[in-house]
Amino acid sequence: MDVSISILSQVAFWGLYSGCIYILLATGLNLIFGVMKIVNFAHGEFLMLGTYITFFLFVITGFNPYVLLIGSIPILIGIGVIVERLCFRPILGTGKLNEIFISLGLIYIFQNLVAMVWTDEWRSIKSPFADMTIDLGPLQLPLDYLIIIVVTIVILVSLYIFLQKTPIGKAIRATSQNRKGAMLMGIDVEKINMLTFGIGAGLAGAAGTLWAVSGQVFNPYMGSIPAIKGFAIIILGGLGSIPGAIVGGLAIGMVENFTAFTLGGSWKDAVSFILLIVVLVLRPTGLFGEEEE
Amino acid sequence: MNFSLLRNPNTLLAATVVLIAFLIPLFIGSNLYYLTVLVLMLIFIIYASAWNFLTFSGQGSLGHAAFFGLGAYSASLIAVRMGLPSLVTLLFGGIFAAVIGVLIGLTCVRLREWFLAMVTFGFAVIIQTLVVSQLAPVTGGWDGFPVPKLVPSGIQGSLMIEYYLILIITIATILLFRWLLKSRIGLALAAIRENEIEARAAGINPVPFKLFAFGISAFFAGIAGSLEISHFGYVTPEIFGIDLSFWPIIYSITGGLGTLAGPVIGTIVVTLLWDGLNAAGLTYARFIIIGVLLVLIIIFLPKGLVSLPAEITKRLRRKDA
Repeated sequence: MDVSISILSQVAFWGLYSGCIYILLATGLNLIFGVMKIVNFAHGEFLMLGTYITFFLFVITGFNPYVLLIGSIPILIGIGVIVERLCFRPILGTGKLNEIFISLGLIYIFQNLVAMVWTDEWRSIKSPFADMTIDLGPLQLPLDYLIIIVVTIVILVSLYIFLQKTPIGKAIRATSQNRKGAMLMGIDVEKINMLTFGIGAGLAGAAGTLWAVSGQVFNPYMGSIPAIKGFAIIILGGLGSIPGAIVGGLAIGMVENFTAFTLGGSWKDAVSFILLIVVLVLRPTGLFGEEEE
Repeated sequence: MNFSLLRNPNTLLAATVVLIAFLIPLFIGSNLYYLTVLVLMLIFIIYASAWNFLTFSGQGSLGHAAFFGLGAYSASLIAVRMGLPSLVTLLFGGIFAAVIGVLIGLTCVRLREWFLAMVTFGFAVIIQTLVVSQLAPVTGGWDGFPVPKLVPSGIQGSLMIEYYLILIITIATILLFRWLLKSRIGLALAAIRENEIEARAAGINPVPFKLFAFGISAFFAGIAGSLEISHFGYVTPEIFGIDLSFWPIIYSITGGLGTLAGPVIGTIVVTLLWDGLNAAGLTYARFIIIGVLLVLIIIFLPKGLVSLPAEITKRLRRKDA
């Protein structure tokens, strides 16, 4: 066997890093689904907006791009809140097809808005740590990837603390578990919807910043592929389950990188879709999804 | 001749529209730009009606560009490789799209709406990825390849002939949909759409009907795709783009989801608006304007333009009271 353990662990490490970006995306999708019972198909566009906001701030300020998370997350939370208030609130509960089609309108608006402002050229930014690696024996770990993994863990832990300890976080969980019950307890569920959607968008924005920092290219139409991976993850992990999103995200990251390693890079994007189909054929409610309604 | 049919105002209206469609080239025949707009309008009426047919069964697709593009690619590959005329190969395009549609439908029929939307949305993106990578030796990758025209452009008035040809195909398609919806199949689809559990209780097995809707919808999407490509004479993977999944949705929703007239009215109105905005110099902003229009219609006029007369009378009555 030529394939040594060190190469395999190298690939696993790449999987871990790319999984991180997908976890952030899928966690946002699941958070929103848990509370509002909708799937935001424009979620990939929030990631795309995150990359462009990072790009824009990086060009004018020249700060370390990791610092720009302070910009991209709040801006995306703001955009998410506005989108929820203007587009989703009026049609919530009027039929699932409406809720699906409206996000298609949003995709169209965001993609073309960004294309108008920044043109549809492929862009990228260069992280200051781009050429640095940490050697762990036979393993060479790019510093950027390590930072991305750490940043993701920090974001997820803060989200966990927010949901578990703060009154607003508790209200979000309560609404997610039982909407009517939460309403009767005096929780303003409409405000919770807005906030949850914002947080979901903010997580996608963080994913966007990390996407840009990792050196991957982006253009206004790049959001669909990560969005599909997000869907594959929430189908693997179960709609609405945040631990499921984390497990599913890692699984997709690993599968994708091992596929690229064995079959070649061009299969990387197709494999998560194939996985999505296979899971749905075997278990129409998703791998860990519970029967509901 | 059954004259009572003509007393129905809707039939009368439809007959008038068809008459206008037949006469209009006589007035603008020399202007190739207008004629091209009309040809594309017809192709998109077929496409939007095909997409809309799926919603009659309570299903929705976010990635119909997959079937539109698969139809176009398979028809034009056969046309190029075997030297058959486009008018013949467009049937192959439709059949190939329908086969793939039923296969996708098989994985989707048991799924809840969210998953169905995810699968169809993903499918279009993945097909595009495959066409430009794995299948590139056959498809020419991002560059695409030239396709024979529906009516060879050497013939005198070829665009005019093409217009009438496509007009006949469009009318035939809509009449077929009308007949299907009035038949027992249409009733079964309506029952499944309204309440799948009750439909089951009434002895309707939803699976074959949903698959049938998927197949028919993909078939005509494929036909529309092959028509568009043989009109332009060139095919590229951009045909699988989100734009083309988006168009039938905005047309149908603008006109009225789940009605026969909806996609027709929607396509005419949105196409005119689209070209009008272009003429007004809003070439790029029009993408955003159309996106906003979709969102506004879903929120404020969820039943589309066909419901506008009823909505207005309702409003007026409310004011009187």
